[in-house]
Amino acid sequence: MLEADVEVDRRHFTVRASLHVADGERLALFGPSGAGKSTLLEAIAGLVPVRSGRVALGGRVLTSTAPPRVRVPVWQRGVGLLRQQPSLFPHLTVAGNLRYGLGPGQAGDQSVDSLARALGIAGLLHAMPARLSGGQAHRVALGRLLLAGCDALLLDEPYAGLDHALRRSLTGLVVSFAADRQLPAVLVAHELAEAQAFAHRLAVLDRGRLLQTGPPDQVVLRPASRRVAELVGYLGFVPAGPRVDGPVAGIHPERVVPGARPEEGMVLAGRAEAWRPAGPGWEADLRTRGVLVTCRLAARSCDTGGDLEVTAVDPPWFGPDGAAVPAPERQRAC
Amino acid sequence: MIWLALLGPVIALLVHLSPAAIRAALTAPGALAPLVTSLESGAVTLAVLLCLGTPLAWLMARGGLPLPRVWEAGLLCSLLLPPLVIGLLLVFMVGPVTPVGQFLATLHLSATNTFFALVVAQVYEAAPYYVLGAQAAFSEIDPRMEQQAELLGDRPWRAARRVTLPLAAPGLAMALAVAWARAMGAFGAVIIVAYHPYGLPLQIWTTLQETGLASALPFALVLLVVALPLPIAAYVWSARARGRRRG
Repeated sequence: MLEADVEVDRRHFTVRASLHVADGERLALFGPSGAGKSTLLEAIAGLVPVRSGRVALGGRVLTSTAPPRVRVPVWQRGVGLLRQQPSLFPHLTVAGNLRYGLGPGQAGDQSVDSLARALGIAGLLHAMPARLSGGQAHRVALGRLLLAGCDALLLDEPYAGLDHALRRSLTGLVVSFAADRQLPAVLVAHELAEAQAFAHRLAVLDRGRLLQTGPPDQVVLRPASRRVAELVGYLGFVPAGPRVDGPVAGIHPERVVPGARPEEGMVLAGRAEAWRPAGPGWEADLRTRGVLVTCRLAARSCDTGGDLEVTAVDPPWFGPDGAAVPAPERQRAC
Repeated sequence: MIWLALLGPVIALLVHLSPAAIRAALTAPGALAPLVTSLESGAVTLAVLLCLGTPLAWLMARGGLPLPRVWEAGLLCSLLLPPLVIGLLLVFMVGPVTPVGQFLATLHLSATNTFFALVVAQVYEAAPYYVLGAQAAFSEIDPRMEQQAELLGDRPWRAARRVTLPLAAPGLAMALAVAWARAMGAFGAVIIVAYHPYGLPLQIWTTLQETGLASALPFALVLLVVALPLPIAAYVWSARARGRRRG
């Protein structure tokens, strides 16, 4: 179990967060750039000082600001950190990098070979890091951490910048290794889909505050606040009726279907102000009740300026203070 | 053309030297004593620079010192001061009547006309070249490499031995080679604070003064032969080390 209840000072704000990740559990920290996600991981790894709080791993206190103060040094924490830069040691071969964290008494040749095969880098053991592709370098970095015997995996957007397929396969590798070894794993993610694919639980962080933690589908479909909704991709907020200070429905572009289906959610009708190609379908800007709503649809159903009617499927609702509220009794076409 | 022009003095030296003149100069009684002095003082100078200059360069590269610009300016200042001026100022700093000189006297050391004084003068002339070169070598290393080594279980000194120093080694070797060449050729400060014991540059100077240009040339060749191989070897080794990393 990885436990972190910490306050960490940053230049413009203080990161205050409480994370508890069970063995074998995977948590994704999701939030905008500069929210304090990486700072939180670095505090757990012991790379930045903690103003107050406690970090423990497997019952072992790594950091505690309460008496007796504890700050286990980085090299004794047993925390593995993967970053966007694999940071392979350029003067060592792939095998040298993999063996780096093995103790002097640990021969490890067999474990190096078997891990290299599992990671698909068996043929590269004598290569220098400069000759590796981005994906190969990340595999070596992952193998190095696993051979070093870390007790927790921290992943700081390690695969940002790689192509989608490679990212997916590397994330799959991390997931399977973390599950095999029952390691608590925390992923910092900038992209929601990546966080969802990785995690059992999603934690949304904004300006140093944890806004919501829960199963990914719950966080995405039932955001605890309008701010969380904005962060997970809700682009429009439409009032239920004529009252502008009443509750508003969060409209996610991907949770919209064409036509009026009041039994599925909230029907939105208005003028299509713009159409844009979006992947295999189309993206429309729908002006309804003075609010611009973005909808992604499989087909273009009218011309620009024409009338468009769609249904937002089971949208979340938010009160004037931004907190989530139950859906109003009657949702009618706007 | 520029390359040839720069090599011109070396070519001129080789053209104007005959094997007989070299033999005659080097077999004279006591002729090789300054060579031994230069080699010994150069080796001690390098050891001092390695032990004291390397940590300073690392701290400067990692921003581990307060007022980093002041430290850099201090090094640049000693780099830009003419060596003769350094020698003059050293007399005022470590001469026998100064507090430092009196302290040294309690240790039975003197920074005037001794082997110790020769080393002090060489250190002052060579140190900025080594420290600034080493600082550049350390700055090229991503600090996250050292962090990664620590995350993998290395204590800082072990991370330094296994990661920082091997990665900086080509740059450190070049900086050390330049410092060696500067120490071997140190003259301006040396002539003020350590006229005795003679090193090679002073041997060349006094021979030139006493018996003329032709007699001094063989010793100039000796100085080149002593001063240049280490930089050349360091250059070749650094290039190979960088090539190995490129795979």
